[in-house]
Amino acid sequence: MIPATLLTNALLVGAVLFCLGLVGILTRRNLIVMFLCAELMLQGVSVTLVAWSRYHGDWGGQVLVVFVLTVAACEAAVALVFVLQAFARTGRLDASAWQALREENLPRVIDRELPAGDNVVPTWPSLSPAGVTPPGDESRALERDHV
Amino acid sequence: MDPVTSPAVVPSGLLLAGSVAALAGALWLLLPKASDTVGSRRIGFLLGALALVGFAATGRTLGCVGEDAVFLTVAGIAVVSGLATIVTRSPVYSAIWFAMALAGVSGVLLVLGAQFLGVATIVVYAGAILVMFLFVLMLAQPSGMAPYDRVSNEPMLAAAAGAVLLGLLTLSIGRLSAAEPPACCRMPSRAQAAAGSTADTGGSSIAPAGVDGVKDDGDEVAHLGAELFGRHLFAVEVAGVLLLVALVGAIAVVSRGEATETDHRREGR
Repeated sequence: MIPATLLTNALLVGAVLFCLGLVGILTRRNLIVMFLCAELMLQGVSVTLVAWSRYHGDWGGQVLVVFVLTVAACEAAVALVFVLQAFARTGRLDASAWQALREENLPRVIDRELPAGDNVVPTWPSLSPAGVTPPGDESRALERDHV
Repeated sequence: MDPVTSPAVVPSGLLLAGSVAALAGALWLLLPKASDTVGSRRIGFLLGALALVGFAATGRTLGCVGEDAVFLTVAGIAVVSGLATIVTRSPVYSAIWFAMALAGVSGVLLVLGAQFLGVATIVVYAGAILVMFLFVLMLAQPSGMAPYDRVSNEPMLAAAAGAVLLGLLTLSIGRLSAAEPPACCRMPSRAQAAAGSTADTGGSSIAPAGVDGVKDDGDEVAHLGAELFGRHLFAVEVAGVLLLVALVGAIAVVSRGEATETDHRREGR
């Protein structure tokens, strides 16, 4: 059993995670990021279920979370296959690439202002290749600068 | 000894409204948009920190967040990483932030006393599902940042809606704790009712003290397993069938997609 204060705080954390996931799934256009946001909503619900379960001293909530995990794994497997198929057809992970499937009376999503170019080039970590002799100074070849 | 007995307060309206407004502004500024600048994102970070502090203060009036430093830390990790998951441009970074959020959620579950689920979240989610996401990202990610990762659908409306929903949820959670005095209205569990014991110990949350001394004796995993394979055995079987069907279905979709592609190629499309 957990105290009621911990219950309310855990419920608050669950609500925050759920709302963040909701905003993400509404706004983001990358299919995989939308999926991550759905998983974030599931996490919020799991926290809520476990909090109530611990508060009432009942195991039903935790059992339900075990099944949520199971269904999330199935859902991720199947849906990622669909995402891969969609990518193979359009070459994009864009949800708006499939707007031909929208309802008849809905307007078409047109990207009026796309961000101009890739102004921020990400710097990836790099390792210098091993086993390559550095170009050395011939005259100082016999000196060892360190051991 | 225990802050349970202090009556919980409905969060003050001004604080809640300010937090909601700050969260909406932060989300709007941080979500990917075409007109993004470094300055607007900085303001977004500031507003987000403000909203975080505001909601933490709301939680303090709800209960007493500050007393449980471990809970505060892991909850902060979960919430901040969740925010970073939805606002990061690069999907790979998004997945990594989601892993951090999972670590935070796992910590929250551990603080709540659900050891098995805390570990299972890390093992199943971060170990299996997230790795699958990363594999798909590596298979399907075009080189460089795609333009659709740097714009989003209706960021202002969505941010406002999400923030207002969070405000309403917070309000209802506050009402709940104010309307339900914790000590007297606890629903007795089955085992507790069977034992006929209503002794309220209400000890620390990390080491669950237990109500009847039998149920919460630190053997949480064993009890969960007994419940899972006892009362819910049929559901476990159904879950196994579901996993099998998902596996077969995923393979079927993949192989059928490849078959149609080769058919198209054979037709000389």
